[in-house]
Amino acid sequence: MEPKSTERIDQVVKETKDLLSKLEGTSVRRLCVEAGDFKIEIERAVAEGAAVAAAAPVAGAPAAAGPVARDTRHVMLAPLVGTFYRAPNAGAKPFVDVGERVQRGQPVGIIEAMKLMNEVVADATGVVVEILVENAQSVQFDQPLLVIDTAA
Amino acid sequence: MFNKVLIANRGEIAVRIWRACQELGIKTVAVYSKADAGSRVTQLADEAICIGPPPAGRSYLNVPALIGAAQMTGADALHPGYGFLSEEPDFAEICAENQITFIGPSPDVMSRVGDKTLAKKAMKASGVPLVPGTEDTVDSLDDADDIAKQLGYPIILKAVAGGGGRGISVVEKREDLARIYASTRATAQQLFKDGRVYMEKFIPLFRHTEVQILCDNYGRGIHLGERDCSVQRRRQKLIEEAPSIHFTEAQRQKMCDTAVAGALAAGYTSAGTVEFILAPDGNFYFMEINARIQVEHPVSEAITGVDLIKEQIKLAAGEPLQYTQKDIQLRGHAFECRINAEDPDRDFEPDKRGKIDSFISPGGPGTRVDSYVHSGWTVPPFYDSLVAKIIVWAEDRPSAIDRMLRALKETTLDGIHTTIPFHRRVFNHPVFREGDVFTDFVARHLTTPSG
Repeated sequence: MEPKSTERIDQVVKETKDLLSKLEGTSVRRLCVEAGDFKIEIERAVAEGAAVAAAAPVAGAPAAAGPVARDTRHVMLAPLVGTFYRAPNAGAKPFVDVGERVQRGQPVGIIEAMKLMNEVVADATGVVVEILVENAQSVQFDQPLLVIDTAA
Repeated sequence: MFNKVLIANRGEIAVRIWRACQELGIKTVAVYSKADAGSRVTQLADEAICIGPPPAGRSYLNVPALIGAAQMTGADALHPGYGFLSEEPDFAEICAENQITFIGPSPDVMSRVGDKTLAKKAMKASGVPLVPGTEDTVDSLDDADDIAKQLGYPIILKAVAGGGGRGISVVEKREDLARIYASTRATAQQLFKDGRVYMEKFIPLFRHTEVQILCDNYGRGIHLGERDCSVQRRRQKLIEEAPSIHFTEAQRQKMCDTAVAGALAAGYTSAGTVEFILAPDGNFYFMEINARIQVEHPVSEAITGVDLIKEQIKLAAGEPLQYTQKDIQLRGHAFECRINAEDPDRDFEPDKRGKIDSFISPGGPGTRVDSYVHSGWTVPPFYDSLVAKIIVWAEDRPSAIDRMLRALKETTLDGIHTTIPFHRRVFNHPVFREGDVFTDFVARHLTTPSG
């Protein structure tokens, strides 16, 4: 390898280290470093077992859901397999919308399994900053359903 | 034929079912608990759905989760494998209600053969021999004495309302009859509020022999010979072989034909197993029907060349049997060793470490391995401890024994305790090599490790 590109890599590594140190307190889920034309991508975990990347805040989400508050993002997972409904019945107002505050134990949706409607309740208190599944979408066990900002 | 099959199981059988589906051009859905995330079948199947947390009651036995997984993926059939929900008539019925074909017998047939008393009645009606005994209860000591004389000692007294090994007593000789008859009745009265007992001839020593059958939905059935599964430990099979060496061709034909006739009379469909007790005097007696594919099915596949899982799937899809009995020719000899994550030197205690450092599977002529593990895999402690099955085939039994010893030697499975050392001891044991094995073989000859 040419000395020039080695230098380049060293520089990239240094930059990456600096960036990572600034993100202290969050866990890195994926790290991508490229030498040619300098590319660094850092993806942080939002919560244990969550399959979503730290995406940009959804439109309408309060400012508190911005980068600084990411630590407090709690991802609520599907407690069972079935069809997720956001409202108690067709045409009704959804249990919860992005930007709304929920209390632990408050219904946030329904999962239908074999014609049984199972209420899904919030397992944390805070503001809903993201809803990750569509109405009437099938969900697996432990699939991320929504994100609650517990600090907001 | 089906478009997409949901594999409602885990471990090696899930991979085995995937293989059959793949060869038949059927798409597959794997389901898994959190403990099996990333397991082999989830990598191989077209889709994989997480159905619940590690405990089987909330995942592999979770009916709404399985039905939900089938619905969300559009699976039109479900293969239950063995264990878990494979012999639950209610589950088969729920599948049917949800337009999912359960790959197995109909719920009706499953209930009928699952009830031991009903199964015995059906078998007897079609001429399948049962262990000699009374159908009615024996209500006086005089009757008991007469019947015991006819049957010949030892005899066994069973409480009508008993079950799970309770309310059963063995009478070795006539002098003990009065005392044990009275105490068994008294105990049964106390335990089950029903003191009635019936009597059977007691067969202390036998060989566990079972017949593999395939029946289609049109009243046709064939057998694929028998298996000997006498190497057991506390009724857990450890080694199986096919064919049994304890039959003449005429006896084999009689037992196997009887099994098919009995199963067809009970309305049986799909793949199944008819289990028999083979007594030392050469008489065989019906024990029970297993309405599922069994762990040991590969030894029958090895000597017949028939892919039982593929046939089972085709039969469930409504295809008629493509074989006649004449097409089935038994050839050579096959063994299967169950490689469990257990320590044979510590009374087969399940391995607690779980992590497989290195796994190198044996290969070569006549050698088949059905497994789901790989180096670095951690065997979850929540389910059965089977990690692999080694199946060998050779022209005759002695060559198959040599081949199994070679395959066991060739297997690397480090990091966990396994039953491999136990299997080596068995295949080197003169009694086993001779083939004179009864169900007491392990307890009698292999209770102490050979250092």
